[in-house]
Order: sequence, then structure tokens, then C-alpha cells
Amino acid sequence: MITGSDSMEIINADNISYSYPDGTQALKNVNFSVETGEIVALLGPNGAGKSTLFLHFNGILRPESGKIKVNSQPIVYDKKGLMEVRKKVGIVFQNPDDQLFAPTVGEDVAFGPMNMGLELQEVEKRVKEALEKVDMVGYEKKPPHHLSGGQKKRVAIAGILAMNPEIMVLDEPTSGLDPKGASLILQLLYKLNEEGITIIISTHDVDLVPLYADRIYIISEGKIIKKGTPRNVFADINTIRGANLRLPRIAHLIEILQKEDNVPFEKPYPLTIGEARKRVLEHLDDKK
Amino acid sequence: MVNILESYAYNNGLKNINPQIKILFAFITLIVSLIAVSPVVPLIIAFFIFLLLFFEAKIPISVYLKFMSIPLLFGVFNIIFMTLFFGISEPWVNLGFLNLIAYKDGFNLGLLVFSRMIGCVSCMAFLILTTPVSELLFLAESFKVPKIVTEISLLMYRYIFVFLEEARTMYHAQETRCGYSGIKKSLKSLGLLISNLFIRSWTRGDAIYLSMQSRGYNGSIKVFHTNNKLGFKPILMILFFESLLLLGVYLTREFQLI
Repeated sequence: MITGSDSMEIINADNISYSYPDGTQALKNVNFSVETGEIVALLGPNGAGKSTLFLHFNGILRPESGKIKVNSQPIVYDKKGLMEVRKKVGIVFQNPDDQLFAPTVGEDVAFGPMNMGLELQEVEKRVKEALEKVDMVGYEKKPPHHLSGGQKKRVAIAGILAMNPEIMVLDEPTSGLDPKGASLILQLLYKLNEEGITIIISTHDVDLVPLYADRIYIISEGKIIKKGTPRNVFADINTIRGANLRLPRIAHLIEILQKEDNVPFEKPYPLTIGEARKRVLEHLDDKK
Repeated sequence: MVNILESYAYNNGLKNINPQIKILFAFITLIVSLIAVSPVVPLIIAFFIFLLLFFEAKIPISVYLKFMSIPLLFGVFNIIFMTLFFGISEPWVNLGFLNLIAYKDGFNLGLLVFSRMIGCVSCMAFLILTTPVSELLFLAESFKVPKIVTEISLLMYRYIFVFLEEARTMYHAQETRCGYSGIKKSLKSLGLLISNLFIRSWTRGDAIYLSMQSRGYNGSIKVFHTNNKLGFKPILMILFFESLLLLGVYLTREFQLI
């Protein structure tokens, strides 16, 4: 899905910088762009500026310098312009308790569409569709505190889906979830992406990233220090480790096998279990 | 306790009944219970609601008794107190110590207050155990309660549970490090817990505001409500039931136990 043409760019952060009110510089000349239909992962350690960057994408934060463009249109920071950009770019926050504020699931999912000023019938339809997509039908009347962590997360996603965004931005969507819950969320994101939603995810779960991301950005101390396909980015082991990240476990295993045990695996190392399996089988075949 | 009562409101045999009907029923019955001049009708109401909660809403009897135990206890004390101190004319029994005399009219008054209380608390119990708070808030809005009140209640209601959970976690963390051994340490730990909770609610408020902005919040929460139509039949049934009660109030107006 990766093409080079500029017309496909759905979101573009051009050289943006941002400092917190206390003066700490959170983002330094960040360039970040995503093309229509991609899944892009933003990898970085805690406090690297991932969430701060995300809050720029729908105009919650305004860059001190630089520009954010959505569909090649710079964000207009007035009431109407902000409403427009928030319809297009939906942010799912890391802690679902920060997002689910209404007494029932149904009311919470309806919050966005209601703010968009839609007809009640349309709101009802969208709530239903959104809950169907995240597989939470039947929970409309339940209060959020009766749900599990994974369920809350899915309702939070439904709350954004109900606004029909073109881009969905998720801050650490798998953090705090059990393995099953995390894998359900990723499957859901994959499905939504196939239905045409562009997805941006921040994470430090390097094992999962290569499974879904078309492209990766690595951010460290407010700067983008590397970008490219998972294969390219993880080939640069020094940068990865320098940013307090690590290789996916499976790549690490292959690296050790090669370096310590002289098993002749060539770089780039496989990043997923599927790739590793193929390489190991090839190696065993060669030996026979 | 709050948690348990709260979960019954969302999961009971009457959850699919239109909330407006339940609210209407609870409030009219409460008023009837209040205007009754003899203990008979309020006690009938209490019994009827007990049956309703037990057989229809499927609330376990232990939960209901626990809920009613405090008002019942309070009511009994009230009867004793009024029998001894509120009588004017007819002495009933001389207790024989401290010069205490039980009065008949005092007892009757005490019994009336007791029964009204139990009747009214039953109505409220019915509402609390069968109707979610969100429905009450929605109705409050249609009764022209200022939006700022309902909005703040809505947010408070949701975050009570979040902060309850956080307070519990913090409390356990303090206990793990022996924070509550001794009165002085307990006070200090409690103070820390409360101040920490305050700061957390502050930062949480910021986070919620950001997430609400992201979904197009512009100063007022527009509540979405799937409104089921208020049927004609249930209203008629309620009116019929309440008229029966009122008739009962009229017929038993002279009734006195002793």
C-alpha cells in the first residue's frame, strides 16, 4: 500500500516543534506523514513525546512552529475548523477511563455523533454500527465500570468509530490488556484498516508491531530518529537499542543463534514467528 | 454496598420496563404513602413493593433486608421514643422507672411515622434497585433541572467508581507498607491518600477534557437517549393502583391499632 506520490498523504506534520508550558521541549522539528490506507506505528520509550505528537493531529495542541495538514489542508484553529478536523481524525486515548465518561456505553458512543449535530436516528444507527464493529452489541445499557479492560477499550474505539473518521489514532492500544484482549484489539484494527480507515498507533510493544505495521517511525526525546518499513528499521539495531527499545524477541533469538552459536542466519533477521519458522526450516533443509 | 446496589439497578427482572413508568410509580406511591393518615396503607405499600422486588425484580431477600435494616431500626427507635415522650392525653402503661409513662396517642403517632417511613423508603428502594442513575438524570433534565446540575452529576456518578477503585488500590499500597499501624500513622496515611486522590482527580479531569474535546465537545454534553414510548396501558394501571391506595387511605382514616 506504500506509494511515493504526495497526493496520497492523508496526514502530514511538517517540521513541528512544541514545548510544554514549563518550557521543556517535547517535540523538536518533527516530520511525520501517513498515506491513505496505511497502518503506521510510532515506536518510542515512555516520555518520548508520542502522546504529545498525537494531540497535534486533531488540533488539541497547536505546534509552535511548523504545520499539520490533513488531506493536504492545513488545520484551521477556529471552532469550525477544529470540528472538521476532529471528524476526520479520531483519537483513542490510552486509558479508556479517561475517555468513557457517560453513565452507559450507549450514551458514551453517542457522544461524538451528538456533538457533530446529527439527527437522532442517524446517531442511533451509528451507535449500533460502531458497537457491531467492535463486537459489543448488547452492552448499550451497561455502565463502563461493569466492563473489563479489553471491553472498555473496544467501547472507546466504538466511540471514535461512530464519528466515521478517516484516520484513527490510537495511543498504546494494547497497554494493560491481557494477551487475548490485546490480540482482539489488533485484529479489530486490522479489520478496520481493510475497511479503509488509516491507522496510526503508538506503542512500545516491539513484538507486535512488525505483524501489522506498514511503516514505523521511531521517536526518542522528541525527535524522529528513524523511519521506514519494519524490516529496514529493525535492521538498524544500534538505533533501536539507543532509543531504549529492543528487537522483537524472535529477532533477538536469531541474532544470538547467529552471533553466539555461529548458526549461519543472514541479516535482516526475521521479525515474526512466521518468517523465523521459514528461515529455520530453510536452514535445516540446507544441512540435510 | 454501593457497588452491589448499583449492579442490581442494571441487572434485575424489571430492567426492561420503561424507566419513566418506574419513576412515575415510585413517586406517586411515595406521595400516597406520605399523605396516609393511618399506618395501614403505607404498610400495604411496603409489603407490595417487597413482593414486587422479590418476585418480579428477583432481588435476593438478603440484599433487600440489608437495605431496609437501617430505616427499620431507626423506625423502631422512633416508635419507642414517641410512645414515651410524644403522648399528651391517654397514659397507657407506667413503666415504673425514671417516671416513664407510655402514652397511647404517642404510640399511635409513632406507628404512623414508622409506617410512612417504611412506605416511603420502600418506594425509594424500588427506584434505586430497579432504575439506573442515568435514567433518573435524563428525566431530571426533562423536568427542567438546570443542565449544569445534571451534567456534573453525570460526570460525578461515572467517576465515583473510578476513584473508588483508585482509592482502594492506594489504600492497599499503603497497608502493604504498614501505613495504618497505629492511630497517628493511620491519620497521616489517610491524609496522604486523600490529598493524592485530589491531585489525581485534577489530572484525570484534564485528561477527560482532552478526550472530550477530541470528540467535538463544545461546552455542553448532549445526552443521547433511546426513548421507549410511554405506553397508555401501564399509566392506566398505575393510576388504577394508586386510586385503590387512595381509597384505602380514605377508608382506614379512623384506624388505630390501640
